[in-house]
Amino acid sequence: MHHDKERELIHVDCASHIYPDGSVGIHDMCFFVQKNEIVALCGPNGSGKSTLIEHLNGLLTPSKGNIAVNGRSITTEEHTDLWREVGLVFQRSDDQLFAPTVLDDVMFGPRNMGMSPDAAKAAAMEALKAVGAEDLVDKLPNYLSGGQKRLVSIAGVLAMKPHIIALDEPTSDLDPVHSGMVEHLMVDLKERFGMSVVIATHDLDLAARVADRICLVRQGSVFAEGVPDEIFYDEVLLQETGLKPPQIVQMYLAYCQTLGIIADHHPITIEEMMEVIRSNTTGQS
Amino acid sequence: MHDRGYIVSASSLSDHIPDLDLITYYAETRQTCFSKVSPWTKFSLLILIVLLVTLTRDVIILTALYCIVLLAYAGARLPVRTLFAWYALPVIFVLSLAGIMAWNEPGNAVISFSIAGIPFVLTDNGIMLIVILLLKALIVVTYSMFFLMTTRYQHFSAMIYRIFPSPIDQIFLMAYRFLFLTLAMIGSILKAVHSRGGGLIHSIRMQGRLFADIFALVFIRSFDRSERVHKAMIARGFSGSYGTAAEVPGLRMSEYLLVGVSAALVLAVALITPRFGG
Repeated sequence: MHHDKERELIHVDCASHIYPDGSVGIHDMCFFVQKNEIVALCGPNGSGKSTLIEHLNGLLTPSKGNIAVNGRSITTEEHTDLWREVGLVFQRSDDQLFAPTVLDDVMFGPRNMGMSPDAAKAAAMEALKAVGAEDLVDKLPNYLSGGQKRLVSIAGVLAMKPHIIALDEPTSDLDPVHSGMVEHLMVDLKERFGMSVVIATHDLDLAARVADRICLVRQGSVFAEGVPDEIFYDEVLLQETGLKPPQIVQMYLAYCQTLGIIADHHPITIEEMMEVIRSNTTGQS
Repeated sequence: MHDRGYIVSASSLSDHIPDLDLITYYAETRQTCFSKVSPWTKFSLLILIVLLVTLTRDVIILTALYCIVLLAYAGARLPVRTLFAWYALPVIFVLSLAGIMAWNEPGNAVISFSIAGIPFVLTDNGIMLIVILLLKALIVVTYSMFFLMTTRYQHFSAMIYRIFPSPIDQIFLMAYRFLFLTLAMIGSILKAVHSRGGGLIHSIRMQGRLFADIFALVFIRSFDRSERVHKAMIARGFSGSYGTAAEVPGLRMSEYLLVGVSAALVLAVALITPRFGG
């Protein structure tokens, strides 16, 4: 994919992070996020995806290298309000929802931004509506389902209107219905709200469906990057990263093997797979 | 068990420990006339009740007050049997104190014996002391449960936010949700222990070690979780304080009247109580 410097929102330049216990979180990590794109950081557990995401919001600062958000370096300049530009949705919603009610929790970010209570409430209501959770406004977070908690967590970040939203394992532990809702929401954040979305996941099926660009992360650095069909059809690359191809890819390769045809298409969604099958069937008849 | 989106814990830690989930369930779902009373009214009455039980030792007044709060509790369609089970802790607390104080009170002897030459006499006044202290404790416990179980948590937290100074309000607002999560964590650890045959009494030593292990695990996990919660708060710009958005419904005219009459009654009791110059 073409790297357009003018569209660049985040630039991670050879950043490394070593935790106090000496373990390496990221190592010589080079990564970028452009305006209005969905980037998936894919890698096995412990590969450094979450550590990188925490750097994007300023929760962690690199021990070496540089990170720039909107052209401002977070390591050399006073950039303490990074949380206004990059919203983080954590893997465990129970860690994120701490306030007595859903409304209080979603208003938390806008209030920290200095909004008046009325403006913060309006922003919170708007965000809850955007994620389809406006009916949960008076509920206690303790009584929400896992999927509802995840939607409210996203609303809590969306209410701050950041330029970029980073989600750590956004669909882990969710039922298929809520998983689908979160998936649509990520696409909505890009298409309706014009945001850039970064997702850290080891669910390659999810990444195949929503991402514009894939970065394979291994041992704390980006090992390979490219558009989904390019990355997901490179079995050797995936194997070296410790991942398996998405199910659609596996299915297509098995389909081609069964029919004895060359796998010259690269479908990565159900729709694309159906199109390939349809064209093959039409060609045979 | 699910009801209108609320989860009532299938098994609390013990039948004799107030179940936070159950209390919240009733507070959020029960709709009776008591739920519509302003939380400020209920809070004012709680203060007056505490004042009254502090001032009086009159067993008739205390019995009448206990009957009134118990009727209010039952009238709010709250579980009376569960409340009686929850009485275990306050009753043990009162008996452990009054059980010592009651012996050798001046009065007519009811039971008397001696151990190693030391005489022990339980008099009618001693028994009355136990009854009075029990009534006082149960009145406050019953009314507190009534207050908690008929007041929505968002109103309760908003009251705390308005009444207490920082950081007490902040600690309370965060502690409540944290308490739920910690209880859920303890519940799941206990389930895991029971599922492998643990928790059965083999010996006091083993049981003690098991509880120490569970306590240590809960402490470590809670510490770990609090770090993650703090991190998530920092990620949204937390700078040291946060508030709650809910508005607490104000008092209606009839409620002002109720509080006024109650205050006058407490004042009257104060005036007729000898200690206060009556």
